Amino acid sequence: MISMNKVSKHYGAFQVLTDCTTQVHKGEVIVVCGPSGSGKSTLIKCVNGLEPFQSGEIIVNGVSVGDPKTNLSKLRSTVGMVFQNFELFPHMSIIDNLSIAQLKVLGRSEEQAREKGYKLLDRVGLRQQAEKYPGQLSGGQQQRVAIARALAMDPICMLFDEPTSALDPEMVNEVLDVMTELAQEGMTMMCVTHEMGFARRVASRVIFMDQGRIVEDDSKEAFFEHARSERAQQFLAKILHH
Amino acid sequence: MGYNWNWGIFLQPTATGDGTYLGWMFYGFKVTIALSLSAWLIALALGAVVGILRTVPNKWLSGFATAYVEVFRNIPLLVQLFLWYFVMPELLPEKLGNAFKQSNPIVQQFLSSMVCLALFTSARVAEQVRSGINSLPPGQKNAGLAMGFSLPQTYRYVLLPMAVRLIVPPLTSEFLNIFKNSAVCSTIGLLELAAQGRQLVDYTAQPYESFIAVTLAYLLINVVVMFGMRWVEGHVRVPGYIGGK
Amino acid sequence: MHEFDWSSIPNSLPFLWDGMKISLEITLSAVVFGIVWGTLLALMRLSSITPLSWFAAGYVNLFRAIPLVMVLLWFFLIVPHLLESIFGFPRGSDMRLSSAIAGFALFEAAYYSEIIRAGIQSVPKGQMAAASALGMTYGQAMRLVVLPQAFRNMVPLLLTQGIILFQDTSLVYVSALADFFGAAYKVGDRDGRLVELLLFAGAVYFVICFTASRIVRHYQNKLKTA
Repeated sequence: MISMNKVSKHYGAFQVLTDCTTQVHKGEVIVVCGPSGSGKSTLIKCVNGLEPFQSGEIIVNGVSVGDPKTNLSKLRSTVGMVFQNFELFPHMSIIDNLSIAQLKVLGRSEEQAREKGYKLLDRVGLRQQAEKYPGQLSGGQQQRVAIARALAMDPICMLFDEPTSALDPEMVNEVLDVMTELAQEGMTMMCVTHEMGFARRVASRVIFMDQGRIVEDDSKEAFFEHARSERAQQFLAKILHH
Repeated sequence: MGYNWNWGIFLQPTATGDGTYLGWMFYGFKVTIALSLSAWLIALALGAVVGILRTVPNKWLSGFATAYVEVFRNIPLLVQLFLWYFVMPELLPEKLGNAFKQSNPIVQQFLSSMVCLALFTSARVAEQVRSGINSLPPGQKNAGLAMGFSLPQTYRYVLLPMAVRLIVPPLTSEFLNIFKNSAVCSTIGLLELAAQGRQLVDYTAQPYESFIAVTLAYLLINVVVMFGMRWVEGHVRVPGYIGGK
Repeated sequence: MHEFDWSSIPNSLPFLWDGMKISLEITLSAVVFGIVWGTLLALMRLSSITPLSWFAAGYVNLFRAIPLVMVLLWFFLIVPHLLESIFGFPRGSDMRLSSAIAGFALFEAAYYSEIIRAGIQSVPKGQMAAASALGMTYGQAMRLVVLPQAFRNMVPLLLTQGIILFQDTSLVYVSALADFFGAAYKVGDRDGRLVELLLFAGAVYFVICFTASRIVRHYQNKLKTA
């Protein structure tokens, strides 16, 4: 579904990504982890073209992301994304947040869009909040809305960019629960996260990044039992003592 | 100090026999309002476009917008007014320039003043629009794009609605400024409020009453605009969003 | 299309330069007086003595509500008469320059005081408390601790306001005082070369103000990183 081949990116002289190569198959859940500044958020943003890259190739569902002829907006409408800081649109009610792109990008009718929106809000347990505004919700609630907003587009896969790291600890689980459920239903997911419990529960594979390179790309069992690189071992040890 | 106050002067017929001195003032008041409002509408539209261009990821467009803002910000308003009024008609193609010069002098003064105030203010509005857009979290743009919005759609549905709300307070002061700045247009002979004040002094020899009345009229405009904009602010407030205050 | 003839500019440069000196004189004096009076107004506004803070608030709001042109007209047409009748100055003495400076200073003080007030309020409250704890009086704490910090942060804003003031000095045109713009207009009018002289004046203002604001921005960035 997603295939990356030797993706590299630099800002001026600073190398952010170096020769990143990996595959994500349909129904897989990939957890991307690594120390801060390792390039994992940049990597995931390359998948839907939010970050341009200078060399290499990314193919999403048969479409090349780096090709200037590609209609990026169309591609992005099929790839759901959830951000660290939720990024709900503060001037719209919750239900409008879920409907706007359905209306303006997919061209659905107002009725269809709202129906879909309410169904998804039900699913993340927030139907009651539909008429409120993002600023009136807790962080955990906002992130669940953000997941519902992405799902409203019927994406073929979902990208999560540190979805729980801006949350207070007591709200992390409500978001992880939604993500776990999604994974169990067979959604293809690529998640940048430090939540190793989540990785153990649902990940198909774990990618470990350091200094812009993919250092480990292995099944979760292999990663947690015997990570090969020293950096990954250090990283895991640190996370445990966290 | 031996000054004879005479507030009744406003009700006396003018020396030229076209109504009362109060009527003169009222005429000037109407010109000030019409000039400021029409220039404001143009300034808002132009300023929004230029402000947006300053934030787009295109070197040429944002460069053009930056140059636009710098030109209108770094030349005194009075000089700009004279350039529009005296110089522009000379630089236009001959036919157009002559048509302008042969039109009614009041039309010439009003048009020059309106264009001048509109462009001068549009550069300031553009700065506010730009800083409003730039003050939004950078993730908002990404969130819009990630949902499949094109860049114009992202501006239209995500960035601008929020930016507009954020800039209502600074725009209020620009709106107040345009009324105050319109007084500069008295220098090319446009009979707006300040010019009428001057004329009243010449004709009535009651300088204090004339100037106090005109000053009060400006204060009145100020108060009305402030209340109006406060009303607008209350109506665009986003629930639960502190920055949108 | 207009045929340009720039020849009247070189000959009038000394006259234009005299005008520029007047523009600069008005700007500098108004900046200095404006900042001093503006600081006093800001302190009054923030003081706990109600009549003082009301006076300052009234003053600032009044001057910010009326057009600069109106203020200048007051100072050119009315204040001199007032002074003549109160102090018995000889009639018709030319007070235009001093009137202009006074008008600009009193007007700008209202704007400066708002900048300075914001600057004072941006200094953490703990600084005042710490200074008082060391035994300083209110005046000492303001002068030695709060104001120096406030001014450091405000310098770019005060300078920017100075650039705006420099542009605004062209408005002394309403009193026919020959500042730079007035001089340019007079030369253009005399030689029938208004188009050229106005373009020249615009260009000169642009170069000065653009350069000055670049310098201010550079300084501002340095302040930020410091």
